[in-house]
Amino acid sequence: MDNNFLVIENISKSFGDNKVLENINLNISKSEFFGLLGSSGSGKTTLLRILGGFEKPDTGRVILDGTDITNLEPFDRPLNYMFQSYALFPHLNVFNNLAFGIKENFTQKEIEINVRNIAELLSIEHLLNRRIKQLSGGEQQRVALGRCLIKKPKLLLLDEPLAALDKKLRSKTQLELTTLQKKLKITFVFVTHDQEEAMSLSDRMAIMKNGLILECSSPEEIYENPKSLYTANFIGIANIIEIYKKDENFYSDDLDINFKLNKELKNTQTKILLRPEKIKIQSINNLKTNSFNSFSGEILEKSYLGSFTRYEIKINKTIISVLDQNFNSNSNYNFPKGEKVICSWESESIKILED
Amino acid sequence: MKNKLFEKYFVFSPYFWLVLFFFIPLAIIFKISISVSEWGMPPYQDIFLFDNGFEINTTFENYIYIFSDYYYIGSFVNSLILALISTFFCLIIGFPLAFYIATSNIRLRNILLVLVVIPFWSSFLLRVYAWKIILQNNGILNVILLNLGITSEPLQLLYNQYAVIMGIVYTYLPLMILPLFGYLNKFDLNLIEASKDLGLNRIKTFFKVILPLSVPGIVAGSLLVFIPVVGEFIIPEMLGGSDRLYYGKILWEEFFVNRNWPGASALAFSGIIILVLPIIIFQILYSRWSQKNEI
Repeated sequence: MDNNFLVIENISKSFGDNKVLENINLNISKSEFFGLLGSSGSGKTTLLRILGGFEKPDTGRVILDGTDITNLEPFDRPLNYMFQSYALFPHLNVFNNLAFGIKENFTQKEIEINVRNIAELLSIEHLLNRRIKQLSGGEQQRVALGRCLIKKPKLLLLDEPLAALDKKLRSKTQLELTTLQKKLKITFVFVTHDQEEAMSLSDRMAIMKNGLILECSSPEEIYENPKSLYTANFIGIANIIEIYKKDENFYSDDLDINFKLNKELKNTQTKILLRPEKIKIQSINNLKTNSFNSFSGEILEKSYLGSFTRYEIKINKTIISVLDQNFNSNSNYNFPKGEKVICSWESESIKILED
Repeated sequence: MKNKLFEKYFVFSPYFWLVLFFFIPLAIIFKISISVSEWGMPPYQDIFLFDNGFEINTTFENYIYIFSDYYYIGSFVNSLILALISTFFCLIIGFPLAFYIATSNIRLRNILLVLVVIPFWSSFLLRVYAWKIILQNNGILNVILLNLGITSEPLQLLYNQYAVIMGIVYTYLPLMILPLFGYLNKFDLNLIEASKDLGLNRIKTFFKVILPLSVPGIVAGSLLVFIPVVGEFIIPEMLGGSDRLYYGKILWEEFFVNRNWPGASALAFSGIIILVLPIIIFQILYSRWSQKNEI
């Protein structure tokens, strides 16, 4: 696959004394659905706005499909930007909002056909004569999307595309968005602060913090093998345990147990990540106590989440989160608060964090 | 119950003020305008006479008189043209300013807004008088032009219609800027970016997005400038010459020089009707249009 469809090269940007982006490098392939994930102030929106042409970078270049677009005005770029607020034109109806970007270069008949096609694609044919204010949030989102897609952009930039929708609609739209993107094969780059949204939409994603890209990989890779402590904490629930070398094994003071690692370590001290769903809990009378990679603890809190039950389990001085899938439909299946249980895991589930 | 009364008072108080300060004075002016003039104080006769039983003593001669003499109609037309030109200049100067103020950061915006309003803190008369000093033959502008060698003799800058237009635009500009700012302040700047993103350059974006969405502000500002300028008296009096007569001036002369109160009242009443009726019709049509277009 062409890995150099969109090349972001040494992009830096400051607003006054505030460094927003520092030396960003990214390569995005054609037809990729790429996510920029970060908390507010991470610089993700600024990066997207630089791609859209609304901000000029202090240094660096943006190359799209072999053309340097760094200094092009937004109206000269072969890409489109979907705003978080959707920025639909309130003085125009849905038809004219959709047709806004193609009115210049098309005949009335072509406009008509293009608008119908895009409306059909997004199933908003029945809304064409409506005013923007008469639309629901989800409908507005479709019109905003359609207004961009009608221009057949090489690249579509989406700023928090689902943030304004309610939860139920969001998961439905997530699915539609990925299907649409795979169907149209347009490269999508989107920004979000919502890690679930980033995971479910992205082919690959970049984690941003304080103007830097910490990691860039597939959602699976980032979730299962995060390199940094920040990423481990940012994506999903993370149990972070500090361990150090004691005799032949690694030992945690907080848990008062030994860890067996399946990987050699240079450092004598490190942090490890244990995802809550990788931990298996069993009734105490089923097993022997504190062996390698298993420990006994007491259930402090539990919250029933439907498909899962989340337990907070106290072991020695620390509290560990465990997600236990509810295989059994018997409601008595769950462990009650205060119960002593045995937790265990595979040694492959322990991930060593580099910093 | 008390609350209801309170609410009712607030709902109806605007109408109360409207009646007290608009309809009653208007009725008095109308009454005077259909009276018969005479020498005396006040210089018109009562409209109801009870000398020989009951008699209504009214005349429409004043109206016939002012509408048959081009002196009056002409001055009104002059004033309308003056108001149109002044409103136009206020708009093309005020719009970019209002837009700039509305889109600048909060600190700069507050400073600029204060600068717009500051002239109101000094007397209107003084400000117009200041222009007289600037524009007169040995005034500062002519001195500069002479010293720079741009002209060899002082230019006649004062006492013509251009000085009047300039004075009016200067004085009324804040009345254009403030309502425009009020609308542009709420303007979603993303719309401009969206328009550019969809391929429209700055000029097209202005005409397709910014301008249509600013119509309410433009209408409000224009009416606020246009209506008082039609009756403007002081600025033409101080900066204008004898080349053009304006409605305000004629009205003044009719009242205070000719002491023809009924004639002046007829003139004032006709002016108000000619001005207000089209504006009311326009407002009704406009509010229907803007409701339809949801601006």
